Amino acid sequence: MVALEAVLTATIQQVILVYASLAVSIILGIPLAVLALYNRSLEKIIITFANLVQAIPTFAVVAIVVPLMGIGFWPAIFAIMLRALLPIVKNTWIGLSSADPASIDAATGLGLTRWQTTRFIRFPHAYPPMFAGIKFAAILANSVAILTAIIGSGGLGTLVFEGLAGINITTMLAGALPAIGIAILLDVSFTRLEHRLTDGRWLGKNNEKFS
Amino acid sequence: MVFEEVTAVWNQFNLTERTIEHLWMFSVSLVISVILGVTLGILLYRHRNYAEPALNGLNALETFPDMALLVLLIPIAGIGEIPTIIACIIYSLLPVTRNTYTGLISVRPEILETGTAIGLTGGEIDRNIRIPVSLPMIAGGIRIAIVFTMGIVTLGGIIGAGGLGAPLQTGIVLLLPEVIIVTGLWVGILAVIFDGCAGLIEKRLTVRYGEW
Repeated sequence: MVALEAVLTATIQQVILVYASLAVSIILGIPLAVLALYNRSLEKIIITFANLVQAIPTFAVVAIVVPLMGIGFWPAIFAIMLRALLPIVKNTWIGLSSADPASIDAATGLGLTRWQTTRFIRFPHAYPPMFAGIKFAAILANSVAILTAIIGSGGLGTLVFEGLAGINITTMLAGALPAIGIAILLDVSFTRLEHRLTDGRWLGKNNEKFS
Repeated sequence: MVFEEVTAVWNQFNLTERTIEHLWMFSVSLVISVILGVTLGILLYRHRNYAEPALNGLNALETFPDMALLVLLIPIAGIGEIPTIIACIIYSLLPVTRNTYTGLISVRPEILETGTAIGLTGGEIDRNIRIPVSLPMIAGGIRIAIVFTMGIVTLGGIIGAGGLGAPLQTGIVLLLPEVIIVTGLWVGILAVIFDGCAGLIEKRLTVRYGEW
């Protein structure tokens, strides 16, 4: 039997890991995407790097962090961020760079500065792919956060690894099932948020071609 | 100097055998998921009513953390290679199925009508037009499956499947940085090479059969 308290503590740790790393990834990812938009060579580096790291197995990423940063909470956040950053950067960049050239021209014609064009034309256009990227990143963060328990991050993975070590299926499931619950909750809540933020309010009714 | 250290770690942890185990599990899983995924994609294309619920179900499975899925499989399939391969297939099924289905269904009607106009039968249109035109899309799905499979096979090391995940776990548990670095970089290089090759194939198919 697994104490309910242990499961609750692990769940809270898990949620903290997910949101902390997601917050860091968003704070870093969106400016990176804007930078990529304004600098051709930087764009190439960021996107190539993003694609490259995406192919590397998560376990390898988590493992490599250990010799670099040691074990514990922050190395785990860094490992999760390495994973979660990429979908955010890539999707934001795709959204920003695929804005309708005619709208950009119109904005320039109206005398908007480059920053204003980005803020008022490109960003609203980028919201749908951006939120899709953030949702994907959140689900990915939850998944990696289980694995980082192996480098001492805490969270539901602790129970999973405890169960694996003691061949105790109940303990394993006490870690795995709440994690699946969190994944489903993240998926549902972010999809809702996505709909609320991108429907009508940002895009406007006369911008059908954006949707 | 560096080379000697790398070979020392390589030999001590039998990385050649580990790599063979790794690639073996990888190939078996990938072949099965491509066969199952493409078949399922074609079936869904034939019976379009089931497409949405089936793809939604696969989508939900996709949100499950990979480690949690492996653990769920332990009571059913035990530990080792079998649950690892099953998990790889479950994860890779969505990209292959979805891309096959989307590829088949989104062939532009003009192109199909051209086929009818020159007198091809339904089967000939499917064989000579619909399937080739959707090949780049299917290849894209397989490429995603390759990345997923690589990731989960590596994870399999944790549940006793061997492969390159096993020395990684040993390295972490016993805090052996040189093992982690050698194995981690090797896994990374393998993954990037496979992804790169898949990308090249996808690109060539797009050039050959792509619509734009």
